[in-house]
Amino acid sequence: MNVLSPEAAKAVTPADNPDGSIPVAHFIRGRTVWGNDVRHTSRDLGADFVTPAISLDDLALPRAHKPPLQDVKLSEIIDFFEELGKRLRLDDNVYLQEALERVVVTNPLPRRIVENMFSGAGAFLKPEFLMAQVESNFANPAVLDGWVERTDINGNRGAIRACAPRLVHMLAGNSPTGCVSSIAQGALVKAINLFKMPSSDPFSCVAVLRTMADIDPNHPVVQSMTAVYWRGGDEAIERTIYRPQYFDRIVAWGGGDAINNVIRYLGPGIQLVSFDPKSSISMIGPEGFASQEVIDDIAEKAAADITIYNQEACLASRFIFAEGPREGIEKFCAKLQERLGVDRDYASAIAPPLPSDIRDEIEMMQVMGGDFKVFGKADGRGMVILTDEPVGFHPTGKTSNVVHVESLRDAIRYVNVATQTIGIYPNERKMEMRDDLATAGAQRVVRLGGARKHVLGGPHDAMYPLQRFVHWMSDEDA
Amino acid sequence: MLDAVEKLKRVIDDDNRYEIPQSDVAELQIQAANELFQDRVRKIKFLRHRAEEVGVTEVRERADLVGLLFAHTTYKSYPESWLTDEKWPLLSKWVDTMSTHRVEGIDFDGIENIDGWIDRMAAGGHYLSCSSGTTGKSAVLNASAADMERAKKNMLVAICWGAGVEPRQEYLQFSAAAVAQTPRNMITGRVMQDAFIRTDVKPFKSPIPPITLGGITGMVALRKRVADGVATPQEIAEYEKTSAERAAAIEGSTEVIARAMIEARKEKIFVSGMWGRLYEVAEAVRNMGYSGKDFNPDNFFFSAGGLKGAKVPPNYREYVFETFNIRPERVAQNYSMQEIATAMPRCSHNRYHLPPWLMCLVLDENGEALVPHKGGGEIEGRAGFFDLSIDGRWNGVISGDKIGLTYDRCDCGNPSPSIRDDITRYADMAGGDKITCAGTVDAYVRGIS
Repeated sequence: MNVLSPEAAKAVTPADNPDGSIPVAHFIRGRTVWGNDVRHTSRDLGADFVTPAISLDDLALPRAHKPPLQDVKLSEIIDFFEELGKRLRLDDNVYLQEALERVVVTNPLPRRIVENMFSGAGAFLKPEFLMAQVESNFANPAVLDGWVERTDINGNRGAIRACAPRLVHMLAGNSPTGCVSSIAQGALVKAINLFKMPSSDPFSCVAVLRTMADIDPNHPVVQSMTAVYWRGGDEAIERTIYRPQYFDRIVAWGGGDAINNVIRYLGPGIQLVSFDPKSSISMIGPEGFASQEVIDDIAEKAAADITIYNQEACLASRFIFAEGPREGIEKFCAKLQERLGVDRDYASAIAPPLPSDIRDEIEMMQVMGGDFKVFGKADGRGMVILTDEPVGFHPTGKTSNVVHVESLRDAIRYVNVATQTIGIYPNERKMEMRDDLATAGAQRVVRLGGARKHVLGGPHDAMYPLQRFVHWMSDEDA
Repeated sequence: MLDAVEKLKRVIDDDNRYEIPQSDVAELQIQAANELFQDRVRKIKFLRHRAEEVGVTEVRERADLVGLLFAHTTYKSYPESWLTDEKWPLLSKWVDTMSTHRVEGIDFDGIENIDGWIDRMAAGGHYLSCSSGTTGKSAVLNASAADMERAKKNMLVAICWGAGVEPRQEYLQFSAAAVAQTPRNMITGRVMQDAFIRTDVKPFKSPIPPITLGGITGMVALRKRVADGVATPQEIAEYEKTSAERAAAIEGSTEVIARAMIEARKEKIFVSGMWGRLYEVAEAVRNMGYSGKDFNPDNFFFSAGGLKGAKVPPNYREYVFETFNIRPERVAQNYSMQEIATAMPRCSHNRYHLPPWLMCLVLDENGEALVPHKGGGEIEGRAGFFDLSIDGRWNGVISGDKIGLTYDRCDCGNPSPSIRDDITRYADMAGGDKITCAGTVDAYVRGIS
């Protein structure tokens, strides 16, 4: 294992190993660590990469170790990220440039989309963006910087503080810049942070952290950050460090095996804050099919919501429930199919081919015939399938199932605890249905076409996560 | 006329069926594949659609077959709700699009569950085999009466070749398996019994209640109801009670089977079943103080299944063989899959040999092109098969298996094409590590599998 000083590390950019494997760096509180010790294979594309051996003592600091950010003012942290935001520019950031070259080898996202993600990453770090999160999570953000006094109805006095927690972040693999938000969130709550990188992108997080180390390797923000890769589910690591003596929360994206592995280690003192695996839908009322002009407009809006990250994102729409005349809906489907094939900032004109199970089910529908219509082909340009009931498969790869319903209210029964974003047209229907959609399990309603836009400081997955990260400490003088 | 096909199929009656070099039959295989294509493209609607999509009108070389292979997902391409909502006529119509012989005149009156539907289809000459997939969808494959006859013979010759045994009804059998009762499973079970099991001894009756497909689809339906948020807690509790009873029955049966085998230890025993269960029974036998030295050295063993998720130590095979005194040459191990009709028996040098009526197409990982192959040596890639002996459905399938195949003479002396004994699944090689924010409600359904 070679440990390089930040300066030396910057100069050294190991090339791929002679056997074709890609070197992956770890980042341990300001230090960049290289080493060809452990070989792995990326889950999605089967690319081989090598990491340094992990020293478990680097991952988990004992409780006696005071969180470096505990007494750093929130304003100073936000200033640090403002500077970072300026440096996260693909044009002149060598770390991001290197990460890009490697992410495209391990991640199914097309290069241009990763480029655009990297180019847009700094936007998450603007002071007003970060403050909006803090202010919506904490009634009084001063609890992050110190003790805030309070008096109860009986006149008893006390004080509370949102103290620094110890967090493990299991980063998601489908959004290389998701780590930027996780790094910022971890710092805003002044946590000691361990980032477990995904096999489809063991590069981006370290690239961002190395940029931070260039600002000041000894800054308490940098001293609070560790990022490593181990194979998810590796018991030798997870069983050892996932203990309340080392960590307060495991912050995890996703579901399935990744979460099932973690759940085993939860118990008193160590909790899961989970950003659950989600899917999203759209709803369009009869107003959407009133004229060709309106149809053109909503088809573009719906396409924008469907194609996000080539439909790999949780907020990408998969089903559209449509109420209205058949003729108008068919015109809409045709237009939508056309708009799915358009090149966008976060979607390619031609997406990767459909998985064989979906292709087979669609082909079979065509062979069987019946009351449905298919628009487009399985050529990556996008497909629209018009049916009267939702199809049995999970649409991916720029595929939309338009379900013709009597009334949008009939579609509420297809909303469940896995439904995240619902894009609705026209807007009035959103207000009319939002309470019932919440009851069914949904978490977010937006204007059709607005799935990727956000009102700053909103909740995520039906919660305010920063509130749940912190260690609430109470001082009572009753 | 399927002259070339018939010529190759007839080799099953020859003693050298697994010992024919590829070069002897390559041309005849292509001729046979084209005969089948020309005939089936008129009869199998899904194949016609596929052939039009890929623009194939004739099979002139092996590469022409690649785009025509069906994935295992093709046999799962019905909407799951048809099964859970018991839409038998629609499902039958779906089977028809995949079949050589028309599915018609089936009596749908009073069908109670999937087992009933399978019976009615069999009465109409369509023998369905359904995979007992619990978390995923069941694959449903049609077979004709001719396929069923062929399956019996096929299985028998492969086992006799692999374990050097004769079908002389010399063995006792103690089934530890809990397999689903599908027409194909029942027919192959019966042929094994007829060939190898003694008729002078009352057969051992397994204390495990058989798995019915109705039971499995009932569970799939419940899963869906939970996912849709409409299952009641009472419904879930009843399901959990039933599955706990079944688990207890299987666990309790281990000792019963172990005792019966110990009692019969001096007799010749035919040991077969799923590895996970066999391991448990072997463990029980050892705990009762018995092992290899106590059992008959002429015992023979057959298994076609993998581990199917059973949790056993890495030396599970040796452990089972040692427990029951099974010598290496008395082990019959076949490589096959539900989608093909032919078994490939393993030789003394641990390679699976192909008979001339089975073509193996080694494809790239995506299954889109043949792996280039010049001269000799091992070709590695995704296994595709074109089984010229299948009658009731399309002959070409693409598997999830990663294999190594050679056309060179095997070290066992046999010149036929052979596959190395380290088959892995492409899906297993990745798996387990994926983490993304996108997902379905399936991740929210716990404990029903």
